Amino acid sequence: MKVSFQLNGKDIEVEAPGNRALLDLLRDDLGVKSVKKGCENGECGACTVLLDGAPVTSCLVLAPQVEGRAVTTIDGLVDDPFMVKLRQAFLEDGAIQCGFCTPGVLISSYALLKGNPKPTADEVKKAIEGNLCRCTGYVAIIKAILHASERI
Amino acid sequence: MEYDKILEDLLGRKEFLIVGKSIIRTDALDKALGRAKYTSDYIQPGTVVVKEVYSTHPHALIKRLDTSAALEIPGVLAVYTGADVPGENQIGYAMPDQPFLCDEKVHFIGDPIAIVCAEDEYAAQEARDAVVVEYDPLPANFTIDETLAKDAIHIHEGGNIALTSRIRKGDVEKGFSEAKVEVEGTYETPYQDHAYIEPDVAYAFPEGAGKVTVIGAMQSPFLVREKVAGVLGWNLNQVRVIQALTGGAFGGKDDTGPLVSAKAAMAAVKLGRPAALVYDRFEVTAYTPKRFPSRIHLRTGVDKDGMLTATKVDIKLDCGAYANRAPYWLWRQTVHATGPYEVPNVHVDGTAVYTNKVFGGSYRGFGNLAVHFAVDSHMDRLANELGMDPVELRLRNVLTVGKRTASNQLLDHSVGIEECIRGVAEASDWAEIRKPRRKGNKVRGVGIGTAHHGISTSRGAPDWSAASVILNEDGSFTYRTSICELGQGTPIGHAKIVAEIVGAKMEAFHIEIPDTDTMANARPTHGSRGLALGGTAAADAALKLREQMVNTAATLFECEKDRIDLRNSMASCKDDPSKKMAFKELAHEMYVRGANPAAYGFFTPPRRFFDPETGLGVSYPAYTFAATVCEVEVDLETGQVEILKIWPAMDVGKAIDPLLIDGQIHGAISHGIGIALMESIRLDAGEVINPNLTDYVIPSSMDTPEVAESILVEKPYRHSAFGAKGVGEPAIISIVPAISNAIYHATGVSFNTIPITAERLHAALRRGGQ
Repeated sequence: MKVSFQLNGKDIEVEAPGNRALLDLLRDDLGVKSVKKGCENGECGACTVLLDGAPVTSCLVLAPQVEGRAVTTIDGLVDDPFMVKLRQAFLEDGAIQCGFCTPGVLISSYALLKGNPKPTADEVKKAIEGNLCRCTGYVAIIKAILHASERI
Repeated sequence: MEYDKILEDLLGRKEFLIVGKSIIRTDALDKALGRAKYTSDYIQPGTVVVKEVYSTHPHALIKRLDTSAALEIPGVLAVYTGADVPGENQIGYAMPDQPFLCDEKVHFIGDPIAIVCAEDEYAAQEARDAVVVEYDPLPANFTIDETLAKDAIHIHEGGNIALTSRIRKGDVEKGFSEAKVEVEGTYETPYQDHAYIEPDVAYAFPEGAGKVTVIGAMQSPFLVREKVAGVLGWNLNQVRVIQALTGGAFGGKDDTGPLVSAKAAMAAVKLGRPAALVYDRFEVTAYTPKRFPSRIHLRTGVDKDGMLTATKVDIKLDCGAYANRAPYWLWRQTVHATGPYEVPNVHVDGTAVYTNKVFGGSYRGFGNLAVHFAVDSHMDRLANELGMDPVELRLRNVLTVGKRTASNQLLDHSVGIEECIRGVAEASDWAEIRKPRRKGNKVRGVGIGTAHHGISTSRGAPDWSAASVILNEDGSFTYRTSICELGQGTPIGHAKIVAEIVGAKMEAFHIEIPDTDTMANARPTHGSRGLALGGTAAADAALKLREQMVNTAATLFECEKDRIDLRNSMASCKDDPSKKMAFKELAHEMYVRGANPAAYGFFTPPRRFFDPETGLGVSYPAYTFAATVCEVEVDLETGQVEILKIWPAMDVGKAIDPLLIDGQIHGAISHGIGIALMESIRLDAGEVINPNLTDYVIPSSMDTPEVAESILVEKPYRHSAFGAKGVGEPAIISIVPAISNAIYHATGVSFNTIPITAERLHAALRRGGQ
């Protein structure tokens, strides 16, 4: 079936079987490799993207479900001022190790700051609860998000 | 050469320019932009999909294997079994007990029997299900006791004991006769899954008839090369292995890297097409090696002054189906069996046994997590019996310069455990927070844990590392090592060491991903050796290159060599400020004058040795030490434990990058909280019953405690670059006992099994302690 949606601000139309996960559509059909596959079960959060501005795990979204909607990956936020601040804080605070969870974590953090630019530490923890990171122990990630928030 | 003195002795300066200062990781921006490439990002459309056919029986003979129906499925290209392996159908790492593809017998649920190759995922999946395997089931042994029973069926030809180890130091019975207090206990630790977020993956493509390239997630590209070449029956130089950025590993991918890569490579070579094997989360969790479970029986005596007199230890290591790394794991447990404490009389017996379960393997901290959980639990119980403060008891017995380890190794330098213990005690205001604090159902407790962890390969096995650095014509540098970037950033540490020595800016460096075609074997990223050994090979390369740079600059400046200064990618003469030159120009001069702009580094640490009869000798070149204080709050009604705060300290030798070290400490705290409180792979008749991240729960951001500033003690090690010691593994070891001792302090319940789940603590509290 044909699916039309907006990907990082651009209108696109792709042919996809109805059971194709958005994650596979993005990675395999559209070459968006920043979206990572970690569990295919909505648990790890490595495939998190924004769907109409809200974070979702793209492994649990089927291609037809994005019809007419806006999908944003980290590639679409490179110059976004919120993302620039978040990215800089992640770099400075050592919030990135292996980097496999990083795009997903940044997407969730971005969604948090967009809706709540001055979150508490508990709100930060809650916002990234769905993004598993096995390297950093979250300490530096939480710190970086709070630092970014101070700079917004 | 005393590598810890390079700065003053060879560089002629007192201050560090780059080493010791935290920098922004050189790979962080790509990762933050989502542009960093992991193995699966390299896989091209049209690649053959490879999947494995796994044993569904824990222990059985293969009666019949029929691939014909699978081969009929449209899109299926081939099904390969053990009979199709061109080289050796054997892939055991330390012992030849592990078939690459099982052809006669299976040893656990998940043992690979065949690989299917297809044009797409669906065909491959269908083919996997269509391969017919008829079994002759055998009785299976699932526990240590079952497998050691006299009439137990043999899992491997030689029986169910994979190997044994021992230490005989002094006279333990005499030691126990001198003890005022004795404590005894049996400590059990479960399988822990690494739960790296990137599943195992390998992508292989043939290059002509006699060469194959493998890109994969791994920790040891040269071990992967050896195993791939072995399976193909090829020479080492016919296999090129590239380690792509790897999405977490923690030891696990040291074991899976060769297994996964060899399957992808065999398919690629046989079919003459690119082929990829990509695991899903089920395969990662159910079938890949886990932290070896072990059962440690410990008896410890202490005299009236609080001095340890004797330790008797029995270690039973559950290998699962194959020994894999068990010889190294068991040895490490054996020689660390007293913890970082001096004990005059030590008796250790270690036995590694086979069971019909997923096999154990490398995992951060190796056997030391289990050993220190046991030892440090005992220290608190002994302190309690003696009426002595646990910190005080530790300080009386702790290893210092001049003392000897369990294997009687004399420690003559680089011993900072006492400073670590004092550091965390002071930072946490130990005496104050140890006072009883209870509010309603909530009670707080504080505990301490300690660690020592030998650097480099165990059992005195030869160890070395290699590195290469090239000064390019434009003054930029290319650095190569086979020490892998797994998240920990060790190659960045290497580049900092090189930059410090050659006087370059960090921005001038590009760190190549490991490629076995471009250098000699720098050995694996394990055993806490990546920085201590790999970084010293890097220093060796850098010193050689520096000599060429200094010689050229001295000629050009007509200046004595020892008056040449290299810093910020500039060469200058200390006596005449007008004589200076950017590295770009210096590099050009080196190329045209025939001064070698590339250098190769090689390093081997002083040899270790041991007497197999007594286990005594020099076990490791050096040890990293750590101590952790943990504060918990226990809900007496529900058994729920909240980790409130962690105070970490580590003797790192020399901190190359404090921010990277913090990253290791923080990550290890999370893994430690995981296995202390929640993580456990559960099996039912050999089958993993929680093979996903829904049922195998790992810590999330919600489980993150407050972490105090890391206390970094620096007791340099003489034979490593600037004195640096490994930090990633030691960081996890002291966390578990700190947590369990804090729970003991809060509740009076001393657990000898982890994880300490709310259910178990609740039950123990209802029983009124144990």
